[in-house]
Amino acid sequence: MSTSEKTVTVVRRPRWLRVVGALALVSTAATVWLGLWVTPPDAVQKNLVRLVYLHPPIAWVALYLAFGLSALASLLYLWRRTRSMFWDRLAASSVEVGVVFNALTLATGMIWGRPTWGVWWTWDARLTSTALLLVLFLGYLALRRVPVDPEVRARRCAVAALIAFVDVPIVHFSVIWWQTLHQGATVLNANLSPTIHGSMAWTLLLGFIALTLVFVWMVGVRYQIEVLADRTGAERLEVSLAERWAEGDLDSSTAGGNGHANGANGSPVRSPTRVGQ
Amino acid sequence: MTDASTIERPPPLQGSPTTRRTRRRLWFVAAVLVGALVFLLVEGLGSSLDYFDTVDQALAHRATLGTSTFRLEGVVVPGTIRRTAVGTNFTVSEGVEQVAVHNVGSPPELFQQNIPVVVVGHFSRVGSELFLSNQIMVKHSANYIAAHPGRVKAPNGSVR
Repeated sequence: MSTSEKTVTVVRRPRWLRVVGALALVSTAATVWLGLWVTPPDAVQKNLVRLVYLHPPIAWVALYLAFGLSALASLLYLWRRTRSMFWDRLAASSVEVGVVFNALTLATGMIWGRPTWGVWWTWDARLTSTALLLVLFLGYLALRRVPVDPEVRARRCAVAALIAFVDVPIVHFSVIWWQTLHQGATVLNANLSPTIHGSMAWTLLLGFIALTLVFVWMVGVRYQIEVLADRTGAERLEVSLAERWAEGDLDSSTAGGNGHANGANGSPVRSPTRVGQ
Repeated sequence: MTDASTIERPPPLQGSPTTRRTRRRLWFVAAVLVGALVFLLVEGLGSSLDYFDTVDQALAHRATLGTSTFRLEGVVVPGTIRRTAVGTNFTVSEGVEQVAVHNVGSPPELFQQNIPVVVVGHFSRVGSELFLSNQIMVKHSANYIAAHPGRVKAPNGSVR
């Protein structure tokens, strides 16, 4: 019986990532303070307007940053000249964070919609296309868990991410292309003149910055985990292969060595099908 | 334990049970995705690529709309809101065109004059200009303007 030693790897986050994390924390706290205490209530929505400092920045992170980055990374993976597992891992990390933010977009939207519109949910073009986006990228995450060769998985997922990304411009333009219950854009509207003023506008801007920083930090950490998972996955595979070879070589008493040279109990050597955990 | 040489396993090839299972799983994932997509398209986009008809559109298509249920959008005309025993009566307009609405049920918090609303219901009879609704949704704008700050202060100091 071989006992595999448990090693604890202490991971230090890179300096820039720790700085981003601290900035994200500070700016988020500032947004909460400004949003809840400093900014005035809206003429129509009264205090319900305070969700404007949260809901649009969350949607911004999900749609444009997370899914945008994953589409870009997937493209760079598929392009032969820039192909590297870096892009695959980055796309995966970005989608995972994006799915969380997409779900939060729907959740905060519902919380805002109930008191303002009067309904939690309705099937207008904006809401439907956003729900579809969540399903599409959940599909991407499901696809990543199908056990295959990492290269095959990377290619497959890159294609899937690009297909899913088609829905992002549909979500963006849905309020222009169709009549919707959802309001149009406040900042990125047709004539690019934000229809929000004074301290409300500055707080909204800070909200965008804060959640962008949160996104960068989350993707950075998630990427690190992905690298570690790949590494430990490969290490574990080697350990378990060595154990299997040792078992097969008991009679030839060369346990642990190059046992795979004799194919008596030939457990076929395959590339790591699944990494992680 | 049996003799090691007798338990030789074939190498995994294309079409081995594992590969086939993987492929079946992939098809399953694809089927679920397509199913979800079709469901959303039919349930959502199919029936409401345009979420509502405006007052002008509804009046123009009054003959074809008949008494079928649809969503009507218009701005609540000031001074027309009347509370009734079962709900609220008011008029919605788009420019000069107007439609009287009899709504059953309580309107949402933000319901007020001069605000765009979407009402769900139908014309009372073919060719009528009376709209019977059972749901009001407030379609607020994307404009944010500060309420007059400090004008009225609640006893606890919060500004309303």
